[in-house]
Amino acid sequence: MDFSPSPDQVAVLSAIDALAKPFAAVPIQCRDFALYSAELDRALQDGGFLDVAFVPELGAVTGALIVERIAALPCCVEIAASALIRPFLCPKLPRPLCLIEGDRPARFLKHAATALWIDAETVRALPVEMAAVAPVDSLFAYPMAQLTNGRAMFSDAPICKFSAEDLRHRWRVALAAEVAGLLKAAIDCTIDHVSNRQQFGRPLGSFQAVRHRLAEAYVRTGGVRLLALRAADSGNPSDSALAAFHAQDAAATIVYDLHQFSGAMGITLEHPLHLWTYRLKALLSEMGGRAAHVDVASATLGR
Amino acid sequence: MRFEWTDAQAAFRQKVQAFLRENLPADWDEIARHGPGSDTVSRFSRQFCGKLAAAGLLLPHWPKEWGGEGLDPWCQQILAEEMWAAGEPRGAQYMNVNWIGPTLIRFGSDEQRARYVPPIAAGNAIWCQGFSEPDAGSDLAALRTRATLEGDIYRIQGQKIWTSYASAAETCFLLARTSADRKRGISIFLVPMKTPGIDVRSIPSLVGDGDIHEVFFDNVVVPVGARLGEEGQAWDIINFALAGERLGIPRYALAQRALDRAVRLLRSNAMFDNAQIRNLASRAAALCEAARLSSYQCTDHRVRTGTISPETSAVRIATVMAERAVAEFVVEFVPDALCGGDPVLAEHHQRAIVAGIAAGAAEIQMNIVANDLLHLPREPR
Repeated sequence: MDFSPSPDQVAVLSAIDALAKPFAAVPIQCRDFALYSAELDRALQDGGFLDVAFVPELGAVTGALIVERIAALPCCVEIAASALIRPFLCPKLPRPLCLIEGDRPARFLKHAATALWIDAETVRALPVEMAAVAPVDSLFAYPMAQLTNGRAMFSDAPICKFSAEDLRHRWRVALAAEVAGLLKAAIDCTIDHVSNRQQFGRPLGSFQAVRHRLAEAYVRTGGVRLLALRAADSGNPSDSALAAFHAQDAAATIVYDLHQFSGAMGITLEHPLHLWTYRLKALLSEMGGRAAHVDVASATLGR
Repeated sequence: MRFEWTDAQAAFRQKVQAFLRENLPADWDEIARHGPGSDTVSRFSRQFCGKLAAAGLLLPHWPKEWGGEGLDPWCQQILAEEMWAAGEPRGAQYMNVNWIGPTLIRFGSDEQRARYVPPIAAGNAIWCQGFSEPDAGSDLAALRTRATLEGDIYRIQGQKIWTSYASAAETCFLLARTSADRKRGISIFLVPMKTPGIDVRSIPSLVGDGDIHEVFFDNVVVPVGARLGEEGQAWDIINFALAGERLGIPRYALAQRALDRAVRLLRSNAMFDNAQIRNLASRAAALCEAARLSSYQCTDHRVRTGTISPETSAVRIATVMAERAVAEFVVEFVPDALCGGDPVLAEHHQRAIVAGIAAGAAEIQMNIVANDLLHLPREPR
């Protein structure tokens, strides 16, 4: 057991922090649900940060640490699939990647170079430029879009060498790492609000009803992070299923609480909380939600 | 970052597991049901801990000069996990190796260490902690038991309550007030339980036989040399001691064992095919894993820095979440196990109820997390 980043990981993370710094500020007049940053995407790709998992000394744990850090920024980019799926399953496919489940709208489809379409057993890959893409007016804080002719397009696309189960395993790690970063940032944003907002002559954050639920949110988020990192390290499908289940389970409760504590301010687009919580809401149903992980997550219980 | 055990750590765990296989009797699960404070388990623990000591497995993390093996806190963690998952055959003596012994070694006088440490190292000493009082539970600093200095003795007057192991203990690790200052007025005394004026009364409880007591101190006289540390130093010493206590009980290990056992029962009658049951089992399993990894994170901090991580309070909350999830799962889906059906599940259920209470209420830990980790504005007093 070793919970401290290696010197190589420390170097990568400090470079990521330096790269992320210009993107950390929350725009004063944010009027959109989603805040996509092509500039950040380019910087991450040009800096080689999306390829760290290719380096054996760094591996998936470093990829997960980077995903967590970048997810905590107010703007969003496609990083989870590029950093934690592509190196292991499809290194030659151009990124950004978009993961499509059936006919559902998908994150980053508008910006993706490659779409991966998953059904029960197989995955098919298709250059997005060949597909007809329609943006979706979404309540989620990711750029969402839909294929207008999805099934027809993918029925002729080549089947990938890796299985749907392989993809689900890597996807679960990516999902859990991204949720960990989003939760941390959303909690920090809420702490800032309740520390400054005065009611009844004192800060909201001095009331025990708020303090205890935020403490629980912090503890749960710590668990989400550790389960994600452990799953990245072990490569075990049971670990990744448990990590994804726990991430979605924790997020469901925490998102509600954070908006409750942020009150009316938190429901305005001028307040940044939604930039994290409405990404979390999108991730709550990703891969089919908690129910989709249960079979794998509970497979080893009682054995 | 790495989430695997080293070969040496894995070998140490196997050694502990082999010891348990060889030394726990076939009816151990039935014995453990009586609870760690019971006469039955106390008797068993004296014999069992003696064997542990002989095998070098009682205090592997203690310094060699005090009978330990000088191993790192990971070994303490592995040992504690295996013991707790097995139903804690060390009984009350787990406290000795986790915090009473280390606290005596760090803060005790030569005479105190010479008197009290060897029996602990031999696996034949039972202590109780005289902390809580009728009006001082979570608000420990409100305690009123008084120790009055009279020449070269202290005269102790007061009452403790919810005291675990008091009827079996030879010595009490007692907190008493030596001046009016709320926290700086509290001192620690090492008091033999046979001292005249001490009256122990058992309180029937949900957690096992003989586990909870009232302890009355009526004109109890102890020498000045019974005081641990300086007058008024108790708060610092207790913070050191309880940090060890919180990390020292890996409750998630028994919770995980109970969950596995419950799921095995459900699988055997095809009830685990139910999606809702699998959903709640997964939630409980995730919380157990989260507690385990959080605890490891603190141990890693301790190994690296030699200090207690501020995250220790977060671990305690994570552990309470895990205990609660497993207990609620079992009581809903395997209820017959708690009606004479399964000693391990019954034992877990008995102990789980104190997870958020013993060693300081979980709400106090939430306050600590809110203050020290989230840096939220403090509540007005």
